[in-house]
Amino acid sequence: MNTISTLSRHGLAIGAIGAGLLAAATISARAPFTDAQIAEQQQELLEVVNRGRDLWHGSNPEMSHNGLACGNCHPDAAASNPQTFPKWVPQLNAVAPMREMINWCIVHPQDGNQLDVNSADMVALEAYAVYLYRGEKLQPGFTLPTPPVPVKSGVGYPYKSSGLGVDK
Amino acid sequence: MTDATRIRGRQTGFSRRHFLGLAGQTGIATVAARAIGWNLGLVEILSAATGKGAVAPFSFAIITDSHLFSIPNHKFDKALEDAVAQVNALAPAPDFVVYTGDIAQNGKEDQLVKGKSILAKLKMPLKAIPGEHDWYLDLGKAWNGLFGRETWSFDHKGVHLIGLNSILVRDFWTGAGLSAQQRMGTMEMLESPIAGPWGVRDVQLEFLRKDVAKLGAGTPIVIFTHSPLWDYYPRWNFQTEDAPQIREILSKFDHVVSMHGHVHQTIFNKIGNLSSAGALSTSWPWPYPPVQLEYPGSQMNQADPANTKDGMGTQVVNLDSVSGGVLNYEPFANSLSPWLKEGVKV
Repeated sequence: MNTISTLSRHGLAIGAIGAGLLAAATISARAPFTDAQIAEQQQELLEVVNRGRDLWHGSNPEMSHNGLACGNCHPDAAASNPQTFPKWVPQLNAVAPMREMINWCIVHPQDGNQLDVNSADMVALEAYAVYLYRGEKLQPGFTLPTPPVPVKSGVGYPYKSSGLGVDK
Repeated sequence: MTDATRIRGRQTGFSRRHFLGLAGQTGIATVAARAIGWNLGLVEILSAATGKGAVAPFSFAIITDSHLFSIPNHKFDKALEDAVAQVNALAPAPDFVVYTGDIAQNGKEDQLVKGKSILAKLKMPLKAIPGEHDWYLDLGKAWNGLFGRETWSFDHKGVHLIGLNSILVRDFWTGAGLSAQQRMGTMEMLESPIAGPWGVRDVQLEFLRKDVAKLGAGTPIVIFTHSPLWDYYPRWNFQTEDAPQIREILSKFDHVVSMHGHVHQTIFNKIGNLSSAGALSTSWPWPYPPVQLEYPGSQMNQADPANTKDGMGTQVVNLDSVSGGVLNYEPFANSLSPWLKEGVKV
């Protein structure tokens, strides 16, 4: 039969075991990523982004049978708004992630064969759009037009001012 | 956009088509008198009848950026056919049509030939200037053979009209050892930084200087280029590098209208004496780039991707002596914001 004092003893014992486990976990945790490892991981991401950029501009002929690529209507991923997904997509009559919207564009405007939503190509396309919108506030469900993001960098796209300025 | 740049015809119940119809029947002086009698809002424009110059009111249409592929029965072929039918049906008929570039997608001769054969169905004369998609496979050889010289000017009913090739870039292909197809492919990509900024370059600047040297300041000028003559968004070549020199040469005129393609969207800007307006394409609409605009009201609504005709169309410009002109977008679908439907003073 448990009494208050028995419960207290059990509690102390459990606490002691927990503290011991925590100490052991701290000791056995992997070391933090080194700067070199982080750079390598970032490079892996940028390579996927760069492949997404190529796909965005027509490198997979199966994605289009009429010559159109994503970049024809969405230069620099403009008006793709990855930060607003998942959201209600009227064309799909459902709340959908960006990958399904990409497939809708492949099938309809581009007259192509849709991708497996978990395929490497789809991940790359999504990575390209999300990368260009990095830093944007997440606004799932937002459906009003949002301004495209100023593109400051990106693989293959080092930002370089024209030096021409903006006329008034 | 300020009120001064809008045409308030629809608000007063006096539409552009009424204006054109009456002008065609009776001459502009009579229309002005009628307008005063009806107490309508367009009096300030119709006072052209007493203004300087000798411009007989007329209109011209613009079709642009059809991006035809070599694929038979492509949906863009039909879109250009629709544009031609739409312009042919305008009443009163425009005096001529200007095609402001990118009739082909990949610069191939068959694409240019297909475009010319569709445009041949126009009932009125055609003038054309090239876009980058027409040019960089053979550096204009096929385009010149089909459409003639890319640099031209002519006078029409008191207005001086000029066409220039604004898509000339520095040679980025020879040193890099690129093939003609690679050169074309590089130029096809809107956001490619490789080719650098576009321009009309020295030979055409000299042509322009000589062309306007003897014209009086009161001569209305309309200039056509593929790219805008202002620095809109250079990353997408929504600019012309030597536009400042062009504006300097044309600075002596009271009013210059610059009409351009390339941007696939409604857009307006004014720099000094030069009013610029972008044209709807017949192929696809482009989103607006991330820049602050002095005239944000010139943006149309975001196109509905499920509507294959939304955000595309043609346009017509009506000219008279004083207003410079009124641009009316003629969209395929109902994609204009309400006031754009009333026309833009350019």
